[in-house]
Parts: sequence; C-alpha cells; structure tokens
Amino acid sequence: MAKPGRGAYPILFLTVVVLVSVVALTLIDGITSERILEAQADEVKQMLGSLFPSLDSYELSNDTGRYAVLEDGSRIGIAFMTQAIGYGGPIDILVGLGPDHTLRGIRIISQQETPGLGARIVETGFLDQYVGLAVDDLALRKDGGSVDAITGATISSTAVTDRLREAILEMIEEGGDGP
Amino acid sequence: MNQWMKALTNGIVRANPTFILLLGLCPTLAVSTSVDNAFGMTASVLFVLLAANVIVSLLRKWIPDRVRIPTFIVIIATLVTIVDLALKAFVPPLSKSLGMYVPLIVVNCIILGRAEAFASKNSTWHSVADAIGMSIGFGVAILLVSFFRQLLGSGSIEAFNVRLFSIPGLADNPAAIFLLPMGAFFVIGILLALFRWLGVSECE
Amino acid sequence: MSELVAIFFGMALVNNMVLSKFLGLCPFFGVSKKLSSAFSMGIAVLLVMLVASAVTWPLFHYLLVPYGFEFMRTVIFILVIASLVQIIEMTIKRTNMTLYNALGIYLPLITTNCAVLGITFINIDAQYSFIQALTAALGAGAGFTLVLLIMSGIRERLDLADIPRVFRGAPIAFLVAGLLGMAFLAFGGMVR
Repeated sequence: MAKPGRGAYPILFLTVVVLVSVVALTLIDGITSERILEAQADEVKQMLGSLFPSLDSYELSNDTGRYAVLEDGSRIGIAFMTQAIGYGGPIDILVGLGPDHTLRGIRIISQQETPGLGARIVETGFLDQYVGLAVDDLALRKDGGSVDAITGATISSTAVTDRLREAILEMIEEGGDGP
Repeated sequence: MNQWMKALTNGIVRANPTFILLLGLCPTLAVSTSVDNAFGMTASVLFVLLAANVIVSLLRKWIPDRVRIPTFIVIIATLVTIVDLALKAFVPPLSKSLGMYVPLIVVNCIILGRAEAFASKNSTWHSVADAIGMSIGFGVAILLVSFFRQLLGSGSIEAFNVRLFSIPGLADNPAAIFLLPMGAFFVIGILLALFRWLGVSECE
Repeated sequence: MSELVAIFFGMALVNNMVLSKFLGLCPFFGVSKKLSSAFSMGIAVLLVMLVASAVTWPLFHYLLVPYGFEFMRTVIFILVIASLVQIIEMTIKRTNMTLYNALGIYLPLITTNCAVLGITFINIDAQYSFIQALTAALGAGAGFTLVLLIMSGIRERLDLADIPRVFRGAPIAFLVAGLLGMAFLAFGGMVR
C-alpha cells in the first residue's frame, strides 16, 4: 500500500490522530478525576489528622480558605495554609490552631530548602517546638522567643517562624475566630 | 528469535540510552534521588515506550512522511498524559515525587528517538523487544545513579517503605550534596568514566 | 516590579534551568562545545521559550480551563512548541543562512528541549500571571544561555588540557557541570 503523501491526506491523518487523542484522554480523565479528587481530600484529612488526632471531620470555608476542624460536630480548632519565603523558594506550611489561638502544631507541606540544612525544618525535632506556643513566643530564641533555629539554617528557621507569627496575628486582627 | 534477542539486548548494553547514547538525561538526573523514584520513573517510561513503539509500528505504513514527527509527538504526549493521570489517581506520593518530570517524558529523546529510528521501520514484534530493552537499559542506568545518590546523600537505602540497609557512619552525617542536582552530575560523570575504563563503551 | 525582578533572577540563577532543574540537558552537552554556536543556541531557545509562554499561557487559561480540558495540557503545549520551532526554523532559513547553518540540526531539537516545555508547565503550576510568566521565560532563557556560554568556554579550554582518557568528552563535562552547579548555589540567598 503506497504511502499517500500528497493532498490533504497528511493533514487529515494528523487531525484524526489528534481527535483520537482527545477522545482517549477525555475518557481517562473521566475515570481518574474522581479518584484524584478523593486522593487529595484524603491527603488533607490525613494532614489535619496529624495535627488534631481526635478529628472527625472538617469544613473548608471558601471565603477565608480556612479549615474548621470538628470532633463530634463541635469545633476543636482551625487550620490554614500559609506560605513563607525560605532560602531556596516558597515554603508551604499547614498551621493548626486551638480555640485560644495557641499552636496545635505545623506541618511543612512543601519546601525547596537545602538538604541537610534548611530542609531539616521538616524534622519532628524542629516542628515539635511549635506545639503549644502562643503568638508571643513565636520568635527565635535570639530574638526573645522560644524557638531554637536549626544550626546552619537560620534563614529557613526564621522564615518559618516569622511567617507563622505574621499569619496568626493577621488572623486575629481579621477577627477570625475561624472560618 | 535471535533477531529479537538482539534487539532486546541492544538497549541494555551496546546502545544503553543513558550511558552510551546520552539520551533522556533530564529525568535521570532529576528524579534519581531515591530508588523508589527510579523504579517509578522506569515503570512510566516502560509503559510509554512500549505502547508508543507498538502503536507507531502498527501504523507505520499509514503515517504520512510529512506529519511523521507531529504524529509521534501526539501519540507519545497522549500516552504520557495517561500515565500522569494514572499516577495522580492511584499512587499520589509517587506522582508528587516525580512531579513535572512525568509529563516531561514526552520530550524524552529516548522515546521519540526510538519511534523515529526503530518502530517506524520495524515489525511490531521487534519494536516490542526494542522498547523493553531500552527501558531496561534506562532502568539500570537510573537505578545505578539513584542508588549512589541515595546512599551517599542520606546514608541508607529505602525502597517500597522498607529500609534495606544503611551505612552506620554515613547515616548520621550523609554527604547531602549528592541529593542536590550537582551530586547527580558528579555521580553520572564518574559512572560514565567508569564504564569507559571498563571498556564497555567507546571513546568519543 | 520587584517581584518581577525576583522571578527573573530566580529563574536565571537561583533555580537555573539546567543546573538545578535539569532541564535542557541534551542540547547542553551537544552544542556547548563551541562558544559561537552556544550563543546562537541560547538565544534561539530564549526566543522559543518567550513565544511559547506567550502562546500557551492564554491557551491554557482561556481555552483549556473554562472547558475543563486541563488534562490536554501536555498534548497541546508540545504541539504548540513543535509548530513554533517549525515556523522559527523556516524564518531563519529565509532570512539568515549563516545562522541557519550554524545551528544545524540543533534547531529542530529545540522541540525536545525539556526546558521549553518545562517553563510552560512552570508558568501554570506556579500560578503566574501573564506578565510573570513572560518574565519567568525570559529569566529561564537567560539562565540557560548563560550556563551554555560558560560551559562552552570551559569546554573549549578543556579540549586543550591533558585529561585522562576515560574522562574525555562526556564524563568531564558532567563533572564540570556539577562544579558549576555548586558555584551557582552561591546565588541561593539572593532572592529574599
């Protein structure tokens, strides 16, 4: 069968290929998109659960972007995402607060800090420091607070701590007692 | 059978895509920070390469020469998107790890290269062999690089959530530089020189 | 404005496409042997990145997203890039034969340059505005060209140096790239 090379055949062929591709992908997307959303929701629940072990469910407010964490239907705290500018790029932080605005804890969702140094902000040793801290304690020790920076990673440690303080103060100012 | 085996082993040693042809370096260096990533990437590449080779080979008599490359590209891009969506849906942690390097498989010279150089000119059966061989070659290469980077960079090897082994002194004070991009360059540079020295590959 | 400057330098130096994102490696090791071809290649890539970003961004935000076709991203973007490269190739062929010959086979290869497709993805994932996306593309292209120039300068010298047989060519190039990457690490604290 001779390979037709002239006329509209090449363009037609390519168009058909593209159409097949669109159809195939639409199908696959249909199959996977629900799963993907589920996986994302699971992930959020898992993250919130690590900060609030007794969590039953949560509600996301579309206005404030904050999560209300619920146990047995009553609110036990709130959580929200914030972003600090670290040494190597943005650091996405999940912040969990108790009813009185003390920190339940934080989780580092994503970061691009230096492995072995700034990247150690994900270690429990560093993160545990934040548990139970009030806004006033949110500074490095050298600045009068209660947070020990990671040796050799002052910028990363400061970035996280400062951003936390700012974010919580912002929230309190907005009168936010939650979503 | 001999021909088939030849096509298969070609991709593993003689024309190893990474170490000899120097193709597909982007993903190799980028995701080779852990052995898990290496397996994930190899599996993805295997799927795309195999499917692409088969499809191109089946259609080879109908693909017009003028739109040859765009056709290959659309086929490969579609397959890559399928893998990307599948990973996101069924193995989210791996998808996060591999990140945008999964969709970037579409410009991985290995796949486009094989479609052009082999699948469009050979039977489907042989194209299968070529795909498997090239994927194994790629897999071996990326595994090797990941192994060293993970070992030196974090002191231990963990695969599929099982800690396989760790080097006592190194685990506490790993040479983190190997997890950084430049570590990848160092490892692959040394491995390339090693293969030359072993006489496996030829001098430039 | 300062944000744009930060994005530019971030893309060019701190998160350099080649040295820290590993994008654009194939041409990197192929073309960087001579200074002059390195420069032409770098500029060509920069141009493609700019135009590709300018086209793919609106395509994604005004066509794909509203109709729920985000998953077609990879297919559409790579087709756009392939077409752009074709067009640029034809334009250069008609206007500047010397340049065309200098770039040779590397011009069509820009299509498979991970850096070009990569920057179009980054523009979307980082949720850049249109202007930010263009700035990022500019920075990425500039960074790519810079590294290409440095590498080719070094490689021109290396060719004259006495290097052990097993390291000649690709291996030493990688090691040099690694060292270059380490040097670029120094840009780390720059964007604050």
